[in-house]
Amino acid sequence: MFSIHSTEQLLKAIALASAVLSVLVCVWYIVRRPHLNRVTKSMLLLGLGAFPLIVSLTGNIASFEYTLSRPFCGSCHVMGPYLRDAEDPKSNSLAAMHSRNHKFGETSCYTCHADYQMFGAITTKQNGMKHLFKYLTEYASTGPDGEGGPTIHLYKPFKSGACMQCHSATAKKWVETHGDSADAIRSGEMNCIDCHNDIHPLALSRRPGAGKGADK
Amino acid sequence: MAKKMVLFSVLGTIVAMIFMAASILFPHPLLLVLAMSIGQGIAIFALVLYLLAVALDLQASGAAYIPAEEPPVYEEPPPAEGSEPPPA
Repeated sequence: MFSIHSTEQLLKAIALASAVLSVLVCVWYIVRRPHLNRVTKSMLLLGLGAFPLIVSLTGNIASFEYTLSRPFCGSCHVMGPYLRDAEDPKSNSLAAMHSRNHKFGETSCYTCHADYQMFGAITTKQNGMKHLFKYLTEYASTGPDGEGGPTIHLYKPFKSGACMQCHSATAKKWVETHGDSADAIRSGEMNCIDCHNDIHPLALSRRPGAGKGADK
Repeated sequence: MAKKMVLFSVLGTIVAMIFMAASILFPHPLLLVLAMSIGQGIAIFALVLYLLAVALDLQASGAAYIPAEEPPVYEEPPPAEGSEPPPA
């Protein structure tokens, strides 16, 4: 039975119900072919205008929410090794440890890889479109985990700002443990992943020819 | 004409709704992009087509108010010289 546990599911339910109502109105018109009187026009305005508008609004928000989730990122087969590693309860990679953190929940890919500036959500989605284009043109016919395709790499270097959303660079313990390099990390001269580089090891080991740097 | 336009609009809406519902039920990246671009494009086109059909129908039945061209403004000719002024 379909049950609703989150806002995303509620929006999806509203969108689906509106889509069904819209189609019912359309089918009613096709079957009955009534005269275009006031009642018919009002019904069609609901079926062709109001319900599709609700589907668009709620569907867009629900779909956007879903695109933040790890299953969505892993739905392209080339992401298989990354997804399996992130969801492996025994893995000690950074991706897996962060995915086990309930604060990240199902959105661990997006939390670390999204641009975090003012229009970050928009630029991240633009990159998503680029991913889709690359997938269709370069990876669509590759092996089960993307074998035979070009090495996967980020479009731009991973910035420490993503880590510092949670790991404060001013906390006492952090300053003590990072000592001499603290200023260099804060200024961006050094990146967190220069040292903490065990990010997606399973994915890298499965991709022949990919060095550690390729995944950063 | 208006009825045909409404029929096309209805068919377009059904296609758009199937696209959008499919993207919600099976959220694969390609399907999502298609639903958000082509699906919504078809839905908007169908709605515009329907509104146009309604406007045409109203015009044909004479229910719509269509302002006629403004009639020429009547100007009283100036009184001829020597003529008496009209009685008050």
